[in-house]
Amino acid sequence: MGTIRMARPLGRIRAYARFMGAAFAFNLKATLEYRVNFVLQFFGMLLNNAAFAAFWMVLIERTGAVGGYGFSDVMLVWAFVSTSFGLAHIVFGNVRHLGRIVMEGGLDVYLLQPKDVWVNVLSSRTIVSAWGDFAYGFIVLALTSGTDLQRFALFAALAVPGALIFAATFAAAESLAFFMGNSSAVSSALTEFMLSFSLYPEGIYGPGMRWALYSIVPSGFVAFMPLRVFKSLDWGLVPVLCLVAAVYVGLSYGLFRLGLGRYESGNRMDARV
Amino acid sequence: MAAIVADRLSKTFSTRVRPAGRLSALRSFLRPENRDVEAVKGVSFEVGEGEVVAFLGPNGAGKSTTIKMLMGILRPSGGSASVLGLDPVRDRLELSRCVGAVFGQKSQLWFHLPPSDSFRLLGAIYEIDDDDRKWREAELIERFGLAPFWDVPVRKLSLGERIRCEIAASLLPAPLVLFLDEPTIGLDVVAKREIRQLLADAARIDDTTVFMTSHDMGDIEKVCKRAIIIHHGEVVVDETMKDLRHRALSKKYVGVRYASPVNLDLPSLSPVKRTAVAASYEVDTREHSLAEVVRALAAKGELEDITVEDEPLENVIAGIYSARTGAEAQAFGTGLPGAGRAAPEALGA
Repeated sequence: MGTIRMARPLGRIRAYARFMGAAFAFNLKATLEYRVNFVLQFFGMLLNNAAFAAFWMVLIERTGAVGGYGFSDVMLVWAFVSTSFGLAHIVFGNVRHLGRIVMEGGLDVYLLQPKDVWVNVLSSRTIVSAWGDFAYGFIVLALTSGTDLQRFALFAALAVPGALIFAATFAAAESLAFFMGNSSAVSSALTEFMLSFSLYPEGIYGPGMRWALYSIVPSGFVAFMPLRVFKSLDWGLVPVLCLVAAVYVGLSYGLFRLGLGRYESGNRMDARV
Repeated sequence: MAAIVADRLSKTFSTRVRPAGRLSALRSFLRPENRDVEAVKGVSFEVGEGEVVAFLGPNGAGKSTTIKMLMGILRPSGGSASVLGLDPVRDRLELSRCVGAVFGQKSQLWFHLPPSDSFRLLGAIYEIDDDDRKWREAELIERFGLAPFWDVPVRKLSLGERIRCEIAASLLPAPLVLFLDEPTIGLDVVAKREIRQLLADAARIDDTTVFMTSHDMGDIEKVCKRAIIIHHGEVVVDETMKDLRHRALSKKYVGVRYASPVNLDLPSLSPVKRTAVAASYEVDTREHSLAEVVRALAAKGELEDITVEDEPLENVIAGIYSARTGAEAQAFGTGLPGAGRAAPEALGA
């Protein structure tokens, strides 16, 4: 037999960190294989998001604050949502393809590798346009809040749990494919709901709706709460948001594991891209 | 110790029944009905360490389902599986460090990146130290001839080159057991020959247990020492390749060519193919003496050429595949009841 020695890392976390780092680097490399496509999608997404900024500027100039939010508040909400959404899709690019992968029997390759299937499948792809979303948040931040390093650091720290909540929510919706066969309608609806509700001022929603925005469609944790923390410069609430993210990740992971027992594979010809 | 054990392994899938007739889609939507389909019915076998086994069967026989249960991809509905003493589902993470897999139809390489990058990422996935990975990579590059396309994106490789990379990638963590599901599907004859040689070498050099499905008799004959044939979800044949070939020994193909036209019919044997001066005969040696057939043909005229060949293994396996029941398949070519071949009789020349 061969004399391969398995690495003995300090712990599983270190091994997974190495794997995630490698997956990220290779996904980025695969993305940059098509430079023109990358540049077009990156700037295309920046322009797309900027168009909404122009819309809000005109609206707030004419009507004044909306739901208690001025123009800079709306832009900061956009910054949080955009960067978190982008980060989720850069690191966990398969998050909105999971249902299709399950349906078409594409988990086989991941089930054969000594890594957690959920982490492995989600992180084995990156979405090119998500880099535009990711960068847009920082550009907006620079334009609305200056270049204060502490604010940039807090913004980045808040975007991480936001990204995890986005990824966990989308992955949970996609995991319904184990139970429903085709979950694309539910998944698309949840994506639309979460993005749409996140991008409007919190004050326009009634109490019932707000309850939903801090539970089933967790827009509150990716947009409104980060905005409050950011404006108050309260670092103490960052761990709270991380804890919330951990709960969503745990629930999403549990749903996936529950569904995995029902996985039926398939014979579709496949390639990893 | 057995490397692979399947003990009364079974798998049942539930599938939606589509009623016939008009408005069937609506009826199915309003009142869905499911039906259980038994894809694998209590399959049992053992594969020893270092054995190279072909797992055969016609389409839909349950091959892929069985192999996926052995690899932990599917959960068995009944019975149990054990690979290297581990439960494939419960001990999936531990087992996947010691098992390699190649699917002819599914890739573990990154399409847009060169094999060199995929190997590096696989090193991180399998938690192989960088030094070990480089040493192993160098060995596999040499053995599989990967150097010319090591840094070429996978999308630009030919199918043969890609499969070579796939097999090499599956061997990177030095697996103790290698599962291959139709590894040569779609390859040309030259590429097939190369892949078969590489697989045979891999099994020999690394002493890897190989469990392979294929529809290509060449793969099976060149690489495997034993064949397990599954049909209608049951194991119908489990014997060495030598024994499997013996099933064909009772049938010979005799070809003759004469210098001038002759009467090519024998009293109880007609040619299966004929021209004015040449013919070929299918001779069941339990019905006719081969020596008498050859003597009778030699007596008919001036022979320019004569050949005697065994029945191709492909025909034996095709016969087993076409059997309607497990008993019929088990008996095929053996002369046992149900084998469908008559008792020998003398040939009157």
